Amino acid sequence: MAPKKKDEPGFSRRSFLKTVGAGGVAAGVLGPASTAEGQNVKAIGPAASPIQLNVNGKFHRLEVEPRVTLLDALRTRLNITGPKRVCDRGSCGACTVILDGRTVYSCSMLAIEAQGKVIRTAEGLTEGTVLHSVQRAFCDHDGLMCGFCTPGFVTAAVALLEKNPKPTRQEARKALDGNICRCGTYPRVLEAALNPKSAAGVKRG
Amino acid sequence: MARRRKKLEAGSWKLEAGTQQQPPPAAQAAPPPAPQGPPRNWPPVADRTLIGKSIKRLDGPDKAQGKAKYTYDIIRPGMLYGRLLGSPHAHARIKGIDLSAAEKLAGVKAVLALKDPAGEGANGKAFYQGDEIAAVAATTEEIAEDAVRLIKVEYEPLQALATAAQAMSADAPAVFPKGNVSQQSLQQEGDVEAALKSAAHIVEGTYSTQVQTHTSLETHGGICEWEGEKLTAWVSTQAVHGARDGIAGSLKIPQTNVRVITDYMGGGFGSKLGFDYQVVVCARLAKLANAPVKLMLNRKEEHLVTGNRPSAYAKVRAGVDAKGKLVAFDAETWGTGGAGAGAAFRVPYPIYVFPSRRQRHRDAYTNAGPQRAFRAPGHPQASFITEVVLDELADKLRLDPLELRMRNVLSATDPSQEDPSRQWRKYFPMGAEKIGWSKRHPTGDPASGPIKRGMGCAGNTWGGAGSRATRANCQILPDGSVLARIGTQDIGTGTRTLVAIVAAETMGLPLTGVKAEIGDTNYPFAPGSGGSVTVASVSATMRIACENARDELFAKVAPALGVEPSALAAKDGRIQVKDAPSKGMTWREACKLLGVQPISADGAFGPGLSSTGTSGVQFADVEVDIETGVTRVKRIVCVQDCGTIMDKLTAESQVYGGIIMGLGFALYENRILDRNTARMVNPNMEWYLLPGMSDIPEIDITLVDQPDRGPVGLGEPPVISTAAAVANAVANAIGVRVRKLPLSPDAILQALNEERTGGTL
Repeated sequence: MAPKKKDEPGFSRRSFLKTVGAGGVAAGVLGPASTAEGQNVKAIGPAASPIQLNVNGKFHRLEVEPRVTLLDALRTRLNITGPKRVCDRGSCGACTVILDGRTVYSCSMLAIEAQGKVIRTAEGLTEGTVLHSVQRAFCDHDGLMCGFCTPGFVTAAVALLEKNPKPTRQEARKALDGNICRCGTYPRVLEAALNPKSAAGVKRG
Repeated sequence: MARRRKKLEAGSWKLEAGTQQQPPPAAQAAPPPAPQGPPRNWPPVADRTLIGKSIKRLDGPDKAQGKAKYTYDIIRPGMLYGRLLGSPHAHARIKGIDLSAAEKLAGVKAVLALKDPAGEGANGKAFYQGDEIAAVAATTEEIAEDAVRLIKVEYEPLQALATAAQAMSADAPAVFPKGNVSQQSLQQEGDVEAALKSAAHIVEGTYSTQVQTHTSLETHGGICEWEGEKLTAWVSTQAVHGARDGIAGSLKIPQTNVRVITDYMGGGFGSKLGFDYQVVVCARLAKLANAPVKLMLNRKEEHLVTGNRPSAYAKVRAGVDAKGKLVAFDAETWGTGGAGAGAAFRVPYPIYVFPSRRQRHRDAYTNAGPQRAFRAPGHPQASFITEVVLDELADKLRLDPLELRMRNVLSATDPSQEDPSRQWRKYFPMGAEKIGWSKRHPTGDPASGPIKRGMGCAGNTWGGAGSRATRANCQILPDGSVLARIGTQDIGTGTRTLVAIVAAETMGLPLTGVKAEIGDTNYPFAPGSGGSVTVASVSATMRIACENARDELFAKVAPALGVEPSALAAKDGRIQVKDAPSKGMTWREACKLLGVQPISADGAFGPGLSSTGTSGVQFADVEVDIETGVTRVKRIVCVQDCGTIMDKLTAESQVYGGIIMGLGFALYENRILDRNTARMVNPNMEWYLLPGMSDIPEIDITLVDQPDRGPVGLGEPPVISTAAAVANAVANAIGVRVRKLPLSPDAILQALNEERTGGTL
């Protein structure tokens, strides 16, 4: 439904970022490409280049071709498979990770662009064997069925609550609008996100 | 249903929609044969500690943490990545395939041609976009994709059939060997023409529903790993045993040489019931490369080749008498299930009594991916057509459409008996009360302004009986642990949790005291998770296996307690004497008596522990903006039964899920093919529209528990009547009938426009 959302009032910058893929925006707006006309920019690739990724508090060294997405680097190189590959073009949210505190579609960002960022996935939310309060709420409310979209929804909900621990129903819906579930868990995902216990375990920052 | 079960048991996985549509519940299933062992039953309702309660799914934590490993997630040592090359043309002759450049690319380990330019029929042709032409396996997915691009295929594009109308037109090219259109089938009862002549009011119209794709989030595919002649395949499937048999058959190897594992799977909705060609290709690549290969489809391929709900068209004449009794339903129907696949559905929908009825049906074959079973095959289409016709008849009569339904819905064959599978007469008033039906205005919201509000309703039926072929195994180990094993699979419905609930309930243990193991062909046979047969098959059979095991334990324990085994009960973590509960021992002490020899007991499906036939109704309350054509569903009310509720929490989720998928069918989802090339215009998830969080209305579910019936399947029923209820609510709001799905803004504006220029009512 992502394209439809643009036409609605209240279309947010965040959902725009999610729609077009944070990769494109990051490269165009935030990235080091601000160097004039691309001069003096060191060309990378097409062969595999060494990179370092900070995922769930651990530094990983890996070699990837510049074309490899952050999602594929996480999944096939680091075996971090919480983020799922579903649409592979920034419209379903199954690959959502938290990058420097904000949600991005990891399928729409290159791994090389994610260097120097703090990346968190559903796996990294658990402390030892203790579920994150949001993960616990998803289980309590049965906000998951086949579970394939669940890590994406969990990370999106955590990112929301870290910014806004008391979202209104409308705010929570909007924050979770970038994720698609085919089993139809939406009502219970929303209840999980709105459960005060979810926010209680969220670290502000 | 009976026919379908027979098909499932025969191991024939070519499910065709329509063959699965069951007759009304009363006509179903001859009673199963007499049980072999002692009579088995569920515990009395008052004694149930787990069954019927809200139990959280056991694999929730693993899923929420991203730790659950789906087929797509598994990485085997030395694993290669496979990719397919699909035909870009919907209809083409393959004149040449040159694999040489792909084979030379560094990192490529295997390349296969899947079509033969010299071959006959389908072998040398592509019949739909995405039809598999070649496959590669390489060390990385990126290299595999490069290799696919290096394969040179010479196509001779041929004229393609994109729509049923094109296939049925007199000047259509002959595309399919057996013709573009099937023979007409005829179903009839009574004299339709005479009955229509006697009718006080007649409605005539053409109704249609679109093609819907399953869009499972985890795409189809698998990982194949050979060890000599033995193959282990991790497959995203709804039927581990069916997949094993299909793979073995295609590869012409013994079934004993194939093991299929499905620990977690990311949605199927019917599309993963059949064994998949791509897994066979994956196995061949793995053999050729001498390494494990993972081959998962991409999103585009998933839309193109893994099945869909066929389109449905019906040219209907229906009549009602002056007293509001339905008299006749006559339909000429057609639809397309793609290349060579059927598109059957049965109208009128069998919960309403039309004494005279006739349906003449033809399948039109088009150059599109073949259909597959899709959650309640044939039902949502038939429900939409029938329920909309009913509302139109009610309008002609100037009668409340709810009242028309009450006068004509099926009830118990014997009026003195209550039939628990035919509860519509009870549920319609319940739903009406909840939605506030008394406030419903006649067709056309008289309120001023562009936002119009309306209500509609529809009913549903399904079988959902268990399969007699089901087997299960239960082990009690000397340390007190319990293993419940069955070769079913959890497709998101909560089957793993269900197995544990049954085992724990039977042993009188907490859920943590048992271990459920499923999703492996090494475990006893269970049917594919299709037709809503799983809960009835699995829970009944697992109950029997567990009772058999528990009785063996009773036999060990009884002498120590100086009583007969039949005097014992397993309760609250103890084995104790029924009449003197203080006399007994803990479960662990009892199991110690086993010494070193665990108990292993099998169970075969038996009658009496499950049932068949469900009824349900849904009501919709909608808002339509007649300036933009945008429909917003405000509220859905659902009343649904499913026999004995096994797990209230997951059962409710199933109903939410069905309704939301029904909303997609009602409002958004539509596989669009280019009318000239028959290529799919929206093979992605931004233009193939699925409901999102902000599209979800308030959903009010009343699950009716029938604790004495035993469980009946619930997967299919809740998806059936949502679209029909929404369509009727939209017409009630805007005063104009939209006779096709989806109820997209353009369809609504077009209907409004037609009304201005002559009217549809």
